[in-house]
Amino acid sequence: MVIDRRKALLFGSATTLRLLLFFAFPSLPDLLTGRVEISTPVTSFKRLQEGLFLYTHNVSPYDGGVFHQAPLLLSLFALIPSSLFSPLTSLLYIALDLLCANALIQIAESGEAGSSRLFTSPRNELKWDGIAIGAAYLFNPFTIATCIGRPISVFTNCAILYAIAKAVSGKPMSSILALGLASYLSLYPILLLPPLILLCYDRQARDKKETPPISTFAIKYTSLFFATKVWFLYISNILTGGSWEFISSTYSVQLLLPDLTPNMGLWWYFFIEMFDSFREFFLGVFWLHLGGYVGGLCIRVRRQPLFIITTLLGIFAIFKPYPSLSDTSLYFAMLPLYRHIFPLMRYTFFAMATILYASLLGPAFYYLWIYAGSGNANFFYAITLVWSLGLSEIVADSLFAVLRDEWEVERPEMKGKDVRQI
Amino acid sequence: MKYSFGPLLLSLLSCSLVLADPDYHERLNLQPLTPASLLASFNFWSKASLQSYEEQHFKYIPRSLGQILQHAKTRELHLRFSTGRWDDESWGARPWGGTKEGGTGVELWAWVEADSDAGSFARWVTLNNALSGLFCASLNFIDSTRTTRPRMTFEPASVGTNASTDNLYLLHGTLPREVVCTENLTPFLKLLPCKGKAGIASLLDGHKLFDASWQSMAIDVRSVCPADGSECSIEMEQTVDMVLDVQRSKRPRDNPIPRPVPSEGLRCDDTKPYAGSDFCYPSDISNGQSWTIAEIFGRPIQGSCLAEDSNGNPLDSVYIDVPNEREMYITSGTENKHLSGTCRSFTLPKSEPFEMVLSHLGPQTFNDHTTPPLYASRSFTGHGQERGGVQTLLTNPSLTSSISFVYFETLPWFMKLYLHTLTARLSTSSTPNPCLIKEKFYRPALDRRRGTQLELLISVPANSTVILTYDFDKAILRYTEYPPDANRGFDVAPAVIRLLSNDKKAPVYIRTTSLLLPLPTPDFSMPYNVIILTSTVMALAFGMIFNLLVRRFVGADEVEGWDVAALKAKLRGGVMVLRDKMMKKGGKGRKSINSSCGN
Repeated sequence: MVIDRRKALLFGSATTLRLLLFFAFPSLPDLLTGRVEISTPVTSFKRLQEGLFLYTHNVSPYDGGVFHQAPLLLSLFALIPSSLFSPLTSLLYIALDLLCANALIQIAESGEAGSSRLFTSPRNELKWDGIAIGAAYLFNPFTIATCIGRPISVFTNCAILYAIAKAVSGKPMSSILALGLASYLSLYPILLLPPLILLCYDRQARDKKETPPISTFAIKYTSLFFATKVWFLYISNILTGGSWEFISSTYSVQLLLPDLTPNMGLWWYFFIEMFDSFREFFLGVFWLHLGGYVGGLCIRVRRQPLFIITTLLGIFAIFKPYPSLSDTSLYFAMLPLYRHIFPLMRYTFFAMATILYASLLGPAFYYLWIYAGSGNANFFYAITLVWSLGLSEIVADSLFAVLRDEWEVERPEMKGKDVRQI
Repeated sequence: MKYSFGPLLLSLLSCSLVLADPDYHERLNLQPLTPASLLASFNFWSKASLQSYEEQHFKYIPRSLGQILQHAKTRELHLRFSTGRWDDESWGARPWGGTKEGGTGVELWAWVEADSDAGSFARWVTLNNALSGLFCASLNFIDSTRTTRPRMTFEPASVGTNASTDNLYLLHGTLPREVVCTENLTPFLKLLPCKGKAGIASLLDGHKLFDASWQSMAIDVRSVCPADGSECSIEMEQTVDMVLDVQRSKRPRDNPIPRPVPSEGLRCDDTKPYAGSDFCYPSDISNGQSWTIAEIFGRPIQGSCLAEDSNGNPLDSVYIDVPNEREMYITSGTENKHLSGTCRSFTLPKSEPFEMVLSHLGPQTFNDHTTPPLYASRSFTGHGQERGGVQTLLTNPSLTSSISFVYFETLPWFMKLYLHTLTARLSTSSTPNPCLIKEKFYRPALDRRRGTQLELLISVPANSTVILTYDFDKAILRYTEYPPDANRGFDVAPAVIRLLSNDKKAPVYIRTTSLLLPLPTPDFSMPYNVIILTSTVMALAFGMIFNLLVRRFVGADEVEGWDVAALKAKLRGGVMVLRDKMMKKGGKGRKSINSSCGN
């Protein structure tokens, strides 16, 4: 096996940087674990430790309000000997980051972003190679902060990236299994199922001569997905000693938002301030809003299923119930695959400035509210609004660029001219 | 510093207790703790046979309470109303071994007869609601989040009952935020046979009781079935303990505001080396002070209440712990000096007021207060409204023997405890010592449904301090879940400590103070603004994406744009048309008016 020297260099330097941060600054991991931008109630590493402690001391961690994570993680972390817990988990999270980068490099090298089965971009030549995209992921400060803060969303991200990587390399079975794992770990990736099936189908249709009709394909892999999920739940049931209470404790927390700890999303303050009688109604509205994008995108951007997934990941980073930096870092990992559409984006400066502004002011305003007491909750809330606005600007702008790119294939004479939507 | 449990328990009752066995008796014990403070302990005890209780023949046990207990199938009840902090550094061990004391606010625990956990909880709610009405306290707010089922901390005081065979369930609830006041005292006094009009209860006045440095009102009901097979009975005990600041209590009622003493009225301590004509180090003004009952309590005792034994002989009702040599005067009744030399007791006259004067003459020695078996103090650590920690210092003052006890805490659900951070260490070392905690019982909180319950079996070696710490996160609540004045914080119930001793002595309890937990607060004036602003951001994002999804692209030069000149012309044309129409209408109107005038 030939080891790519550039890849080895990239992974080596990323590992060194993380090891340096983990072991040269021993208080940094715990500091970042406590940050609301990185740890949410459903992903926090401290809560995982608490759940693990209860699990190993024969108290059901799901019979309490602290731990909301999947049982398989418990049995995974229970394997780590407690004397070496901290260094081994650090190595585990570094390995996860490298796996993510590896999957990203696979996706980039498949060339799916520039040319899918149904569409090839005229700007296809303009792209970054896999190593550059991997580097953009591994050296993204958001990714590094997430790795050091050790939220379990890293596992979800890794599973999602592997699902995509397997899909673009024509292995629908393992792709769906990986997505099953992702949606088992944290509910929302279930919304990625339709675009992922499209992606798998396109990839298979391109590689093979004869393909089944898409409906049979979809039914087959949807049932596989749910079978995977049921299997995971069954395993969890066995692991937790035959009780189903983990389902309400892990998934209904994400659905119903009982824990209103501040985070970067829009849900927490909205549901703090919501009138009691409207709470259920607006929970429904928020989930509908989140799920509503899937159908529209699948129809309109049908020719580029990978881009549907990218856009959905961006939307999740804004509108899911407990978003954190790791979701943003996943979106920012996928976006460079679309290097060729960057010239078509209109508001990059505005959006990047907004993101930068929010990520610098966010911690400051949180400090003013929680510690200094000289600001109130509205300070941090306002920053989460700005952050969401900036991200949604990027999502919408990249969608615009991709659609325009498609349109220019139909009408090559319109290249470089002003457009209008009617 | 050597101690044993025996003298501790009876520290209050150093006057030996001689009890005849009437169905009701009451007694007041006055014990100067320091020159400046006086512990007054009121105790009212009554009894009825179980048979008459079940047939609803109520004599001394009040009907109102008895019927509630019967309705809620409660076998044993303990209700506490407390305010203030017992200062064990200067006052020593607690009266009654801490068994008649509650945590700040209201504390209630009871053994309820039921078939199942759910059934016991339903009866518990019934009991709380009924007691809430009886005592004018917010006991009905003891819901599932404030109710626990302690495993090791409490044991039934009833004799001859067995909790497991009789289907008895122990439930415990606290209301640390409850402010105990006169409206709780009045119903308390109404339960007494003389309703607070006669006997020692006539001294219980809300102004004095709730002005005390520390006070605790207790009601205990238990059943006693002697092992010899004689008749079972129901016993009820009402207790009021208060520590009065003598100087503060003696302040005249017409001049209650403390003012600076004029220089000629100052009493200076001349024994200090720096004492001089132009310096005054105030001497302890209570030292060698005289006081009377009327000065301290605002009124004399109004006669006696059922203070006779079964033969009609008067019983002593008032006890005081002062040396026999100190001079005392009483207006009526009789005085008994006890052999111990530091105790005397008095019978009360039947119907005339009883006044007692403790003169400043005679020896001023105060009994060295007994050292408490354990000092416990609990506080928050950390800063900010995101997370914090709790640190409890548990000091064993004994030089020779170690001590083990049950440490029981109930925490509200919004204080998210991390049990893996719970550590105990000796103050002399910086590393946790896992051997200090012998046993743990932990029931984690469930959001909005259940509070945390933590029971630890800890042992502290002789002459050392154990530091118990754990971390927690502060949850942020829905804005409707905050009480009025949300920025004051939330009260966390005191920890209860039960000392374990090998021999079968009465239990000893210690309670820490309650804690004030500040939580992050949202802006309470914002609901509409937040709904509008969040919805705007969501609508913006959705609008941008939806627009891209449903509309198609055209070149900017292929569609009619906003042509400014054409728009101007169009607008001008419209204005002209409108003006013409107006002119026409106006003309017509004038014409018609003219014509009507013409007629």
